Amino acid sequence: MENGKSLKFYKKPIRVLLAKPAIDGHDRGIYILARAFRDAGMEVIYPGLLPTPESIVNTAIDEDVDVIAISLLNGAHMAVFHKLMTLLKKRKVKGIAVVGGGIIPDEDKAKLEKIGVSGNYGPGTPLSVIIEHIKKRAEEARSEK
Amino acid sequence: MKNRGSEIADIVNGIKKSRRESIARAITLAENEETLFPDVIKRIYRKNMQTRVIGITGAPGCGKSSLISFIGPKLMAAGHRVAIIAVDASSPFTGGSFLGNRIRMQESLEKSGIFMRSMSSRGSRGGLSMSITNAIIVLSSAGFDRIIIEPVGSGQSDTDIMDITSTIVVVLSPGFGDEIQAAKAGLMELADIFVMNKTDMPDVDRAERDFRYYLSTVPPDKMVHEIIKTNAISGEGTDELVRSIENHEKGVDQTAFYKKIFETEVLRIAKDMVAVELEEIARAKSEWIKRLSTSGLDPYSAADKLLNQINNQS
Repeated sequence: MENGKSLKFYKKPIRVLLAKPAIDGHDRGIYILARAFRDAGMEVIYPGLLPTPESIVNTAIDEDVDVIAISLLNGAHMAVFHKLMTLLKKRKVKGIAVVGGGIIPDEDKAKLEKIGVSGNYGPGTPLSVIIEHIKKRAEEARSEK
Repeated sequence: MKNRGSEIADIVNGIKKSRRESIARAITLAENEETLFPDVIKRIYRKNMQTRVIGITGAPGCGKSSLISFIGPKLMAAGHRVAIIAVDASSPFTGGSFLGNRIRMQESLEKSGIFMRSMSSRGSRGGLSMSITNAIIVLSSAGFDRIIIEPVGSGQSDTDIMDITSTIVVVLSPGFGDEIQAAKAGLMELADIFVMNKTDMPDVDRAERDFRYYLSTVPPDKMVHEIIKTNAISGEGTDELVRSIENHEKGVDQTAFYKKIFETEVLRIAKDMVAVELEEIARAKSEWIKRLSTSGLDPYSAADKLLNQINNQS
């Protein structure tokens, strides 16, 4: 069952859960991110649109991801991220970082950072910046597992 | 950071209590070939595995994930503890992958609470991941008695699934080809159950007719003749499919299945160990190997000499 495995890659790839919670159907951006993360050698888990914060946490646990990356363009970011971070704490989840992105006003970014949601990149951010950030957070998360 | 001993104990206890975090973590350790993993397996491994493994295979886009979203909850309602593993391909260029099997299942997973894990094939070309048997052992130790495996959308020759499953469902859909495709060796020969999915499509009767035409030329003891027609959007036909899976399971010789899965895995691990040892020798004796390759020896004789190095060491 091995059929010639190439050892070039496949060394502990970063696992990322990409999600768009709440009612937000703008999925073009998330496909671009999925592709960029995949091409950066990551394993991207995409469960489709509209999962609730509960389902994000359940999925992240089953899939043992390093990073949860949430994209929000509908203004619900504060509510969603609050709920998500509370749930993660309640379930005593360790070793999973949360990063955000989408349309997030500057004044909200600091508040999000405070509860542990980093990144919070807006449209036009170079993909390489986002990828580097995910890599950094994934490394931190893994050291806490 | 925990120390190694307590990390192993945490995971082992968690698996015994069927904690999702611990099960998921153990599968990651297996995938990443962490040195912790053999120590975990040694402590959770039980003789006489009772778990049945159901493979749902077929071409990309034929409806495997959607079918599983119905089959999983129905098996659960029948009293089983069900887990799902779905494998998607890794990129041969970057090693990354897009694991999208959840999209069709997410709603069903949320309602049923079934444990589901997406795995990347991580370079394996047989439609599975090298760690799949390890994942099966972990899930089985955690008390799951039915594991549904969805391999990478398969072609004719992706037959690795037969090494690790007790029931194989081959999913077809209109447009799979004519009776000539059905006659080809490989995947078609593995089926315990055939499914013709997408009954809402106009060509479905013709596809079924073509397929039955071929089946009529094969003796029933050589190939399964039953075809179940399903619609994986509405769920039509999926009750029948679950009944058919349960019927097939009644005839499965669990001891023989277990032996098959065990032997395949022992061989895989042993091959892996030899490969690692060879790499170590190759590193330690790189000068010697360089001389060997310019010594005028043919490749077979040179490989023989290299293998002798392993024998001498042990």
